[in-house]
Amino acid sequence: MRSHTLRVLVLLALAVASFQVVFQPVRLDGWRPVGQPPQPRLRLGLDLQGGTRIVLEAERRPGVEVTADKVDAAMRVIENRIDALGVAEPLLQRQGPDRIIVEFPGLQDPQRAKELIGRTALLEFVDTDHQSLPRGAEWLPDNRRVRLPDGQVVPLPKKVVVTGADLRDARAEFDQQSLQWLVRFRFVGEGAKKFEDHTGRSIGEYLTIVLDNRVLSSPVIRARIPGEGVIEGSFTADEARDLAILLRGGALPVPVRPVEERTVGPTLGRDSIDRSLRAGWIAAVAVVLFVTAYYRLPGFLASVSLSLYALLVLGLFAALGATLTLPGIAGLILSLGIAVDGNVIIFEKLKEELRAGKTLRAAIAAGWRRGLVTILDSNVTTLVGAAVLLWLGTGPIRGFAVTLTLGVLASMFTAIVATRWLVELCADLGLAHNLARVAHLPRRPEVAA
Amino acid sequence: MKAWDLMGNRRWLYLLSAGIVLASVVAMAIQPALGRPVLNWGVDFTGGTLITLRFQDRTVSTGQVRAALRPLGLGEAIIQKVQETGDVSVRTRHLEPEERRRLEQALRERVGPFTVLSVDDVGPKIGRELRNIAILGVAVGLALQVVYVSLRFRSVRFALAADMALLHDLLLVLGVFALTRATVDSSFVAVLLTVVGYSINDTIVVFDRVRENLQLRTRETFPQLVNRSVLEALVRSINTGLTTLLAIGSVYLFGGPTVRDFALGLTVAVLTGGWSSVGVASPLLVDMTLWAERRAGKAVVQPAAQPARAAASRRRA
Repeated sequence: MRSHTLRVLVLLALAVASFQVVFQPVRLDGWRPVGQPPQPRLRLGLDLQGGTRIVLEAERRPGVEVTADKVDAAMRVIENRIDALGVAEPLLQRQGPDRIIVEFPGLQDPQRAKELIGRTALLEFVDTDHQSLPRGAEWLPDNRRVRLPDGQVVPLPKKVVVTGADLRDARAEFDQQSLQWLVRFRFVGEGAKKFEDHTGRSIGEYLTIVLDNRVLSSPVIRARIPGEGVIEGSFTADEARDLAILLRGGALPVPVRPVEERTVGPTLGRDSIDRSLRAGWIAAVAVVLFVTAYYRLPGFLASVSLSLYALLVLGLFAALGATLTLPGIAGLILSLGIAVDGNVIIFEKLKEELRAGKTLRAAIAAGWRRGLVTILDSNVTTLVGAAVLLWLGTGPIRGFAVTLTLGVLASMFTAIVATRWLVELCADLGLAHNLARVAHLPRRPEVAA
Repeated sequence: MKAWDLMGNRRWLYLLSAGIVLASVVAMAIQPALGRPVLNWGVDFTGGTLITLRFQDRTVSTGQVRAALRPLGLGEAIIQKVQETGDVSVRTRHLEPEERRRLEQALRERVGPFTVLSVDDVGPKIGRELRNIAILGVAVGLALQVVYVSLRFRSVRFALAADMALLHDLLLVLGVFALTRATVDSSFVAVLLTVVGYSINDTIVVFDRVRENLQLRTRETFPQLVNRSVLEALVRSINTGLTTLLAIGSVYLFGGPTVRDFALGLTVAVLTGGWSSVGVASPLLVDMTLWAERRAGKAVVQPAAQPARAAASRRRA
């Protein structure tokens, strides 16, 4: 007598554990378990819940070396800026040596966030002697010439007094006198001293404030400034606030450029979830009906283990903290086909063994032994393909590969172990006749043995 | 039930397969003559910006949108309207953030208010990378699977036959995508790898049967043995194909426009993967084996069958 109780308990435990991981009907409040309405708690990709994904690439420019350290540092700066914006749950990742992936789930209008994260935000205070520069004038990359807003290029070397690196604080303010938005900043340490020395020496000259090589304002120095000052530039409220955020967060150690952007509006995301869920349900019902109709009781048992398969895949998925995407759902549905295949292969062999005159128990043993080889060979080739996708793929392709891999693994377990346990349980429960009907044979006495 | 002699009539199988391959090649070859690229490459591969909009006024025409874009120098944009939803998609070259803001502003002012459903903006470099990844992925996946099949079946003939079937399937999928003008984007790479996976998977189930039967009997000729194996595996192939198609079919019908091309690719993958095991891989295995036998001038013993054969002769002795 096999230990059916233990087997059933194992299967039940797996099902319950997976259900808990995916739907979390019970949550721990400290040590006290609290019940809550079960609902799927999977991390959804941006294509399903809506949001924006931006891939930034560090720009290789002569004189600027791109290293992994610098890219990591840039990532931290970007993180600070996003935090200051107050966007919910942004996700930052480095991809390869020189790319940063930024994801904003649920963000409706990424325009402002995009402008903030992509800016280098190198603030420089430039000594331009007696020369005042208009807002918008731009230093050319050689730092020796300036292109004025009217297109005229004049020679003017960039003599940097101090950069934004020593800035301690910056905040937007509304000036009651000029009725304008401005940014107030404060220097500390070495920077404060340099700033004070220079302003003390150069009263009456112009100190031009430059952001990313573009002139913001060019005020005249009226007195020695002890490390504190304001930037004026006819800002709007938003512009002043954004500039303050940029200055507080510091400059990017390497300039970055967006190379890819994908935005899915919340409408489309919601639409996709609803449609995929419906497609999934219809697929599941259709498969269960077909398998049960064709393979009778074993088919029904296979459907039970297919439900376990579905729970297991989702459970593994949630436990790994993977993100479910639209291609991922496609991978799931494809692996549903593979899971059915495992059962079909075994049932076909079972039928043959029964027709060859074996007893039910011998046929079960032989069917699974032969089926195992076939399932292994056919699934390993699928796993090889999925592994290549995992290794190479990014984004959508990876999502497909992850669910396909998990799906194939779970399907092998359910076909090889779970279905067999269920079939053997039924055999010992006296349902042998019903099981043997899979072979569409007339009842034979030895089958009941 | 009279058993079909598929392998005895394998020239008909070859003829049908050759017809499928020829049709696929023609479907691709005529595209340039129709003034369009062989495949309908999406922005994922070419680089570019694809914006899908839902105007408040669902009756907005592509002409109105084009007229609004022309002053921006984007009159060449590909503008399409999704019939069932009334959404409008605009595809242009890769736009800088500033250009995109101007585009949205122009549409808002000259056409009407809208919500942005989705934006795909891919730099040309990313597109090139994805193309390389796709080619590399299919090539590496193929090579690894050949190695695995050769090892498990201890014969290169099995792997070669499986690969020819796979080649047939890949060509057919390309042909279908060329003909239907379905968008070739990054999920197409997943379709290709599904083709690779499913086609090999199905062929292996048939060959596994051949391997099993080789160990059992020695009286049949090789074509007869393969024929019996194919027929024995047929019920499984049909049932599995049918259930997988049930699943994919529901995605195609109910999954919405975003996954429709993907589901189409998977459907073709399953159908052709099932067919090619019977119509390409098995007859090729037969002919390659017969050819090897003729070359060797005697009946070639299948290496994989050797232990069983030895055991059988011992029993006879």
